[in-house]
Amino acid sequence: MNQIEEKTADPFEARLSAIERRLIAIEAERTGVRPVRSQRSTSAQIERFGLVGAWIVVVIIFGAVVPESFLSWLNFSTIFSSQAVLVVLTLGLLIPLTAGDFDLSVASTLTLSSMSLTVLNAQHGWGIIPSVAVALGCGVLIGFINGAIVLYFRIHSLIVTLGVGTFINGIILWISDSQTIAGVSFDLVNWVIVTRLFGISLTFYYALFLCLVIWYCFEYTTIGRRLLFVGRGREVARLSGIRVDRVRLGSFVVGSTIAAGAGVLYAGMTGSADPTSGLSLLLPAFAAAFLGATSIVPGRFNPWGSFLGVYFLVTGITGLTMLGVDTLVQNLFYGGGLVIAVALSQLVRRRQPQNFS
Amino acid sequence: MRVGKYLGALVGAAAAVALIGAPHLAHADAMADAEALIKAHQVPPDYKDPGPAFDAKACMKDKKMLTIPLTMANPFNAEIAKAMQAAAAEVGFELKVWENQLKIDQWVQGMAAAEAGGYSLIDLQGGIPPAALGPQIDQARAKGIKVTTTHLYDVTQELPTNLDGSARMNYTMAGKLMASWAFTRTGGKPNVVIIGSDEIVPTAPFVKSIQDTLKSYCPDCKQQYFNVPVTEWATKIQPSVQSALVADPSINFILPIYDSMSQFIVPALRITNRLGDVKIASYNGTPFVLDMVRNGEVDMDVGESLGWIGYAGIDVNMRILCGVTPPVMDLNTPLYIFDASNIKSAGEPANFHSGYGDKHLAGFRKLWGLEK
Repeated sequence: MNQIEEKTADPFEARLSAIERRLIAIEAERTGVRPVRSQRSTSAQIERFGLVGAWIVVVIIFGAVVPESFLSWLNFSTIFSSQAVLVVLTLGLLIPLTAGDFDLSVASTLTLSSMSLTVLNAQHGWGIIPSVAVALGCGVLIGFINGAIVLYFRIHSLIVTLGVGTFINGIILWISDSQTIAGVSFDLVNWVIVTRLFGISLTFYYALFLCLVIWYCFEYTTIGRRLLFVGRGREVARLSGIRVDRVRLGSFVVGSTIAAGAGVLYAGMTGSADPTSGLSLLLPAFAAAFLGATSIVPGRFNPWGSFLGVYFLVTGITGLTMLGVDTLVQNLFYGGGLVIAVALSQLVRRRQPQNFS
Repeated sequence: MRVGKYLGALVGAAAAVALIGAPHLAHADAMADAEALIKAHQVPPDYKDPGPAFDAKACMKDKKMLTIPLTMANPFNAEIAKAMQAAAAEVGFELKVWENQLKIDQWVQGMAAAEAGGYSLIDLQGGIPPAALGPQIDQARAKGIKVTTTHLYDVTQELPTNLDGSARMNYTMAGKLMASWAFTRTGGKPNVVIIGSDEIVPTAPFVKSIQDTLKSYCPDCKQQYFNVPVTEWATKIQPSVQSALVADPSINFILPIYDSMSQFIVPALRITNRLGDVKIASYNGTPFVLDMVRNGEVDMDVGESLGWIGYAGIDVNMRILCGVTPPVMDLNTPLYIFDASNIKSAGEPANFHSGYGDKHLAGFRKLWGLEK
């Protein structure tokens, strides 16, 4: 808290800091758990960087077993290049989660975005820029619809986004005629996957840049902190003068737009769009978001944690594949890795309840 | 004695060399055989009667069928269903297509509707495993309704005892063609990754056919198999292929047994900088993959006419209802290879029907007594 006060000189920022103190005090009263621990304590540092340590351990283990292929730069550049879509989707999910809302329609938004882009570009001959603009516009619209229904009718976001996501799935089948469509402009493919910097496709740097932007917003901007407060305690935030509904609506719109951006990258990655495969990214995105919430800023959804979460999981899976193990082991690693990481984090926190917001 | 000893040693050594070399000679002219097999499937498909002719119109006048496609959201199933309806309309009997979206409860409703509606035959089309509807199939058969499958089993697979018949597909031949293609395109030195989905009924014989064919051509050639369930294609195929290529840079062919997998393989090849160098050969003839053949991203795709499958499936089912003997067990739908040389015939953009011709229409009409 002191750090925040040091950073903020203007009265509004000071008020936000006071709100955060109040929220933490309320949380402590409710849970009966000592809320503030020194960020410098050993256990806190272990918790913050445990996932980084686990990642390094995984690299060392597979590096020892299959050194020639696993420790090659080609392998790491491949790992970094191939998971950017999931990172961006997870970041899109992170925004409403931080505001205390679930968005189960992010994967559908991704798929609609990639499909609308492909239909317009490959089938109707639109240029790639207007096609991308329409795809992102789909994200804005879906976020607005989600937010408007949640806020106007006061329905839980889980129900609304589940319904809207399913509705979107129907639209995707309709506009695609249930078919996979290939032939996305090579310009997009080029800007997403073919062009490289240090051997890594540009798509990785887009994801990295987005992480940086979201981290900066969360840590250093008023709007980012408002989002955090709304997530931690809506009523207290409202009583403290934050326009909670506006912040929640904004979080839905921004989250969906980022998910639509992930759809653009997805179309650029595969050079095509199909009506269902993007939907399978929903659970991996949630897994990465929750795994990420155990590290860097434990107990809070945060971009660097999610970034680490995605790459930790895929590094393990890549190593297992190189060892030639059955693909079912990937599921064991993915699911087991998530549960074990969260459980270990809880042990370090002495099993304090977490509300992940 | 000494000469005899040396001679004996020489003969023994020659025998040993022959034995060691034996596997290489197991398929003496593998390249010629592979090329001949491919060539036979590069000519436009020709029609052959699947069985003896019969008077379909007279036999089917008081009968009707209900077909339950795997899902109408899959154009593959929807197009076969359309062709079945066209065939039924030509013969002059009712064929109801049970609309569904890959939900077991909807399939169960379809079975119940067939019983209530007095249908003579229920056809599980294009992927529904009979094991998922065991009690419903037993109940329908107890009421005298015939239950069959179309385009589910491979020609080498035995049917479960609770089916009255099946129009099986020659996945084994598709596997041979894919293996032969990889063998010839690599000058007899294929190092392949095969990708399948074990939960799909014909996957096992299909994969085995690829593996056995490659082994018979070159027993020392490397091959590995990845099982990726359909629901995980989008998340597992790309990383698996990438890792395999990084671990073994000498891999030169990827053989996804269902061609829609290709969209996740191409990004893996691009990311590892191996597109063009590592080739893809597959099966299904799905239009977007044929477009990828045109773009050079996929080297070869074995296709089959969905219209032909629909007519051939109806033929098998009518024979069961009409008691025509001997029963026909397999679809007479030919496999046709699409590559850069003939991809124009698939249409632009490609579709499910172009390239195969329509010889089956006249053939089946004559076979069923509709035309002379």
